[in-house]
Amino acid sequence: MFDKDSGLLQGTVELLVLKTLSWGPMHGYGIASWIESATDDVLRVEEGSLYPALYRMTRKGWIKARWGVTENNRRAKYYHLTAAGRRQFRDQTSGWQRFAAAVTQAVTSRTAPTWAK
Amino acid sequence: MHHDRSDRDFRFVTPKPQVEVDEELAFHLEERIAQYVAAGMTPNEARRVALARFGDMQGVRQECAKLLTEDRKHAARRDWLGDLRQDLRFAVRSAVRAPLFSLLALVTLAVGIGANAAVFGVVKSVLLDPLPYAAPGQLMRLYCPFRDGTQTKGALSAGTISDVRERQHSFSSLGAFTNPRDAVLLSDGAPQMVQAMFIEPRLLRTLGVSPIRGPGFREDDGLHDTTTVVMISYGAWQRLFGGRAGAIGQTIRLNGLPRTIVGITPRDFVPPEGTADFFQPLGMSLFMRDPIAVRGSHNFGFVGRLAPGVAQDAARREMNAIGAALEQEFAKDDFGIELTAVSLRDAMVGDTRGPLLLLLASAALVLLITCANLAGALLSRTISRRKEFAVRVALGAGRGRLVRQLLTESVLLAAAGGVAGLALAVGGLGLLRGLALDAIPSYANLSLDGGAIAVTFALALATGLAFGIGPAISVGRADPQRTLRDETRGSSESIRSRRLRGVLVAGQIALCVSLLAAAGLLTRSLVAMTSAPIGFNPDGLLTFQLNPPANTYGTLETRNQLYDEMLRKLGALPGVSSVAITSALPTQVHNSNGLFIQDAPWPPNEPVPFILTVGASDEYFHTMGIPLAAGRGFTTTDAPNAPPVIVINQAMAHKYWPKGNAVGAHIHIGPPNPSAPWITVIGVVGNVRNDPTHLVPEPTMYLPFHQESYGNTVLIRTAGDPVALTNSARGVIAAIDPMIPMYKVATMRSVLGDSFAMRRVPVVLMTAFGALALLLASVGVYAMFANMAAAREREFGVRVALGSTPGAIARLVVRQGGAWMLLGLAVGAIGVAVAARFVRSQLFGVAEFDPVAIGAAVLVLLVCAGAALLRPVRRAAHVDPISVLR
Repeated sequence: MFDKDSGLLQGTVELLVLKTLSWGPMHGYGIASWIESATDDVLRVEEGSLYPALYRMTRKGWIKARWGVTENNRRAKYYHLTAAGRRQFRDQTSGWQRFAAAVTQAVTSRTAPTWAK
Repeated sequence: MHHDRSDRDFRFVTPKPQVEVDEELAFHLEERIAQYVAAGMTPNEARRVALARFGDMQGVRQECAKLLTEDRKHAARRDWLGDLRQDLRFAVRSAVRAPLFSLLALVTLAVGIGANAAVFGVVKSVLLDPLPYAAPGQLMRLYCPFRDGTQTKGALSAGTISDVRERQHSFSSLGAFTNPRDAVLLSDGAPQMVQAMFIEPRLLRTLGVSPIRGPGFREDDGLHDTTTVVMISYGAWQRLFGGRAGAIGQTIRLNGLPRTIVGITPRDFVPPEGTADFFQPLGMSLFMRDPIAVRGSHNFGFVGRLAPGVAQDAARREMNAIGAALEQEFAKDDFGIELTAVSLRDAMVGDTRGPLLLLLASAALVLLITCANLAGALLSRTISRRKEFAVRVALGAGRGRLVRQLLTESVLLAAAGGVAGLALAVGGLGLLRGLALDAIPSYANLSLDGGAIAVTFALALATGLAFGIGPAISVGRADPQRTLRDETRGSSESIRSRRLRGVLVAGQIALCVSLLAAAGLLTRSLVAMTSAPIGFNPDGLLTFQLNPPANTYGTLETRNQLYDEMLRKLGALPGVSSVAITSALPTQVHNSNGLFIQDAPWPPNEPVPFILTVGASDEYFHTMGIPLAAGRGFTTTDAPNAPPVIVINQAMAHKYWPKGNAVGAHIHIGPPNPSAPWITVIGVVGNVRNDPTHLVPEPTMYLPFHQESYGNTVLIRTAGDPVALTNSARGVIAAIDPMIPMYKVATMRSVLGDSFAMRRVPVVLMTAFGALALLLASVGVYAMFANMAAAREREFGVRVALGSTPGAIARLVVRQGGAWMLLGLAVGAIGVAVAARFVRSQLFGVAEFDPVAIGAAVLVLLVCAGAALLRPVRRAAHVDPISVLR
């Protein structure tokens, strides 16, 4: 659907990760699974590309990792939002909504431009 | 800033980034595989699909590991800063929580660091700052030392200067000068005394100095007798001419002769020797015309700038060679006289280097003692805070972290002490400036500049680390579990920290006794210098100098008339018992002349001896209280046209007429002049010491004032207070001739005191440092015994309960602490030996290992240490068993 390395996809992945973590701490596998089911598998990209995104977001200070234990008693790295991440999530969400609305409005427009013959 | 480190503290060791990434990715794959298997795939199939869905596994692995590594580095830096901020905040809090300790530490540090900063300020301005000349490293001063060692910084004769100029290749430029002398300035108001010196115009070029105002000298100024120009120093311009631009071109009268000001030297300029207000152009050709003085009178200083590529050693060797050649060629005048060159800085620093380095070493010792002392105090404090540290370790603080925290505390204290010390140093330098003005080379301005401040803070930092490191490590090693479990008194000390405290006290005692011994030796030396018989009675003497204008009193006759009248009128003042005139007061005689004895010519391989020469009026010996040993003193019959006579001192009589036949001998003095009449020795007087550092008086001869008119220093003896005579004496002089300035009014006592100033300053400072060290060491001893006694309080209680006497317990405590003190003294013996070696060059009239000085140092230390341990030992001995054991 999107080109794998496009900036658009990366920004989208980050927003989706922020959204996932807004429910609470989760490990990488859980994040990938939630994004896939929440987008009805439309955004099904190579799962591996999620991890560099997670590390970059850690670096930016939006999320933090902490080793924890799963329900099945397995060690896993859980990510959670920082205060900066929560702020980022709010800003990006409203930005995305305005962006999506604008693009939707444009591509569904029925008013032809004056030069259209 | 909130910073969460739980992800790092969770496990004992943080895994490598790649390991952590692999673990995370493995978890992902395994979960996915498990999901597919649960959905019905075979494990192999599930694995293949999961991997495909994951994508570029190797690429992701590497990229994630790289990102994590970067992140860790970044976090470490952030952590470090965050920790530092936390440590600092904590350090301030804990300092405020123990205000008495902090205040004491601060004061101690301020004094220790302040002393070092002040002394370093002096050392830097004297020994390290550049001289006020262009490329001063290329400048050298030429001297004519006497081979017999009586004169190391001998001046050059005009002939030698001319020959050096012709023969040398080492210097690109050379300039001569004469020493600054008193001169009378007449510009607007009353005559004033100023310092004037003659310099060759090319001296300024050699030094690389240009006037800041006015054209300055022309190259040929001074070559003609008609030269009437003069340059002035910046200080004189400000002081005497109010810094007015109109000073250039102004005509003034210097020693009665009209002179026009043509230039002002830069603000920081000082001549290579002494200080001067006026610079007159010097022309050597005038001196070359006098056939006797040309090689016989050594009056000139000489400075050269090395030619490019010539080393100082090479220049020195060349001067040595030229000197040896001149000695051969002009043996009659120059025999026994060498020629050498030393760096101008060494020449200008002069005798201050030794005392300054001594002071620097003493200040450093005080700082070391300060460190040891504070380390001891900090140790006590860390012991009382042991529970706090144990709790922090138990809560997860690393030991390294704890050590760092404690070091931050001590460095913070030291930095605060450094700030306070800097303030003290500024005050101390002001004090020193007043105390040691004459003892410090004139180019040095005693102040703390950026460099000195930087050094001070480096010192403070090092100090903080030095006194903090021992206690910090002892805390880092402590066992938190035992500390927390241990319900006994919190004041008990571990063996290790007790040993550390003992070593610290021993170190303080060793350093302190070394410093005290050095101070004692210097004090003894000063006492020896000042208390050895000086040879005359300095009490009840008023002295001042006169400067009769040369154009009014140019002849022997007019000068004799003037001084006869003056002596008569001054002698008639109420309370005055006698009045005399001399050329130079004792301790200030610089003039010496060659001695030639009739019918006893010096062997050709022996240098002509130079003898200190003093002008003295008839009443001089009586006024000074110098006893007559043989023959007679000067009388009115020794008139200008009577046969020339001379009086010598006993040292000279014994040295040159050992058979006791000095009186009646005939001699020549000064540059050898065979046509001059022989001078008869008419009397021998008691010895007067001229050089305070020489306990053995030097040979001296006295010329009759009436025959030579040599001298302008007046001496008045009174039964009362000499200072009270000042105004009436001034009145007498003004009544005779108001144009004669009277200056340098002082009592003989204060003149003597000033001559010891340079010797006294290091002694006073070192004694002060010694006292400080003593105080610090005493506090250290007190703390050691107090802690020791407190630690064993229970045990002593038991002992008392079991029937031990207070005396036995006191002995127990003293024995335990005394061992450390004895160790300190034993190590101190080495320190004393080193210190004595170090001060040896500064000692006069006292042996290097003077038992009195060293014994006194040990005794004073023991008495103070004894007083310090008295209280804690008594408290231990009188411990109440019931209250301790309950």
